[in-house]
Amino acid sequence: MLNNYLKPVLYFIPLAVIQLVLVPLISIDNVAPNFILILVVYYTLRNGQIFGMLLGFGLGFIFDLISGGLLGAFMFSFTISAFVTGFFYNENKFDTNLASYFFLVILFVSSFVCLFIFGSISNSSTNIGFLFLIVEEGILPAIYTTLFGIPLVVFSSKKGLQ
Amino acid sequence: MLNLIRRFVGNFKEYVLFVVLSVISLSILSANEKPQAKHLKTFAIASFAVLNQLANSFTSIFQPNPSVEELKAENARLMLELNKLRQYGLENEELRSMISFKDTSKFPLVPAKVISKLVAKTEGNFIINVGANEQIQKGMPVITSQGLVGIASEVSGNFTLVKTLTNSMLSIAVTIQRINVQGILNYDGTNLIIKNVPTTYDVQIGDRVETSDFSSLFPPSVPVGVIQKKESNVYGLLHNLVIKPFADIAAVNNVFVIKVVPSKEINNLEMNLMK
Repeated sequence: MLNNYLKPVLYFIPLAVIQLVLVPLISIDNVAPNFILILVVYYTLRNGQIFGMLLGFGLGFIFDLISGGLLGAFMFSFTISAFVTGFFYNENKFDTNLASYFFLVILFVSSFVCLFIFGSISNSSTNIGFLFLIVEEGILPAIYTTLFGIPLVVFSSKKGLQ
Repeated sequence: MLNLIRRFVGNFKEYVLFVVLSVISLSILSANEKPQAKHLKTFAIASFAVLNQLANSFTSIFQPNPSVEELKAENARLMLELNKLRQYGLENEELRSMISFKDTSKFPLVPAKVISKLVAKTEGNFIINVGANEQIQKGMPVITSQGLVGIASEVSGNFTLVKTLTNSMLSIAVTIQRINVQGILNYDGTNLIIKNVPTTYDVQIGDRVETSDFSSLFPPSVPVGVIQKKESNVYGLLHNLVIKPFADIAAVNNVFVIKVVPSKEINNLEMNLMK
């Protein structure tokens, strides 16, 4: 059980470095993928909703601390994202969920929810419109994040993309 | 009763956990400005920034550096500009001393490198590789050769968290240079805006905006940007001015921290502008 939690935390460290150092280089007009979110979604689909929520909560807290952002923003949005992803968890459809295009659909939905909520929290003091939040803070970064889920699907599937 | 609660929690444990975690997250969100939270953040940034710095030293190999020829051309251009400014400087010196004008060029600059950035629409911030060991203090302005970038918001031994102009939590007192009109500059998620400037002022597109003499947070006359657009509101009585910053905040890699030591008392008051 401890190993279950230790592994994603170990993966988190290089991913957080990538998120803070490399992602700004590939961001387009402040639209960027979120690698930590991919990790949370992946492990929620592997180990279930409760595991995912605890993982999202913990990793979100650490990421909030090290990124210098609003403390609690990623924590809250990762938790909600894992909660949503948890509804797709099925022990019997473990492989179908992780090693097929369906993973990308789940990743897109979870990313959209997570990034939209994160955007709403960080924009609470501004007069940004709802449509802007949906598109610029939700859909576009969710698409970008989903693109980076493709290699994960390929590696997860022994047969390649199904 | 206890049994009922136990059964309820057992049946809906995912929902109960979700509510508990959400409440904790939201409580932490509301405690952002508490000193304990800030200390924890500073400690975490300082610890993790070491890894970011290592990764950054690797990625900086691939980042473009200005060639020697470009630097030579820039040097020649600056030399010509310097000659012109020297002439103006002599003319101005007497006037400046008469009105006790603060000379921004006298403040020492500390060069720094951006080692990590948080990419977000309204939470613009980055971490630079200088800190308290280089006598950097909270509240010191951060600039590039083009203009103002942001302000040091948290300082640890070797690293500083900088709130950039594209952070909606930062408000800056600025002046429209040509007509000497004061205003407060904010980021609204898409643009830098000076709100509610009366239309009676002769504001023109292209007017330069710089930090105000009234700001003790920033030294005066640090260039910020130019007016790009005027938007009328309240039946044409007031303007919202959209400012295009001189410094390209998204692409900035090397910065300078102005080692201005502000008045502690005024600074504490003015830091309230940084929520």
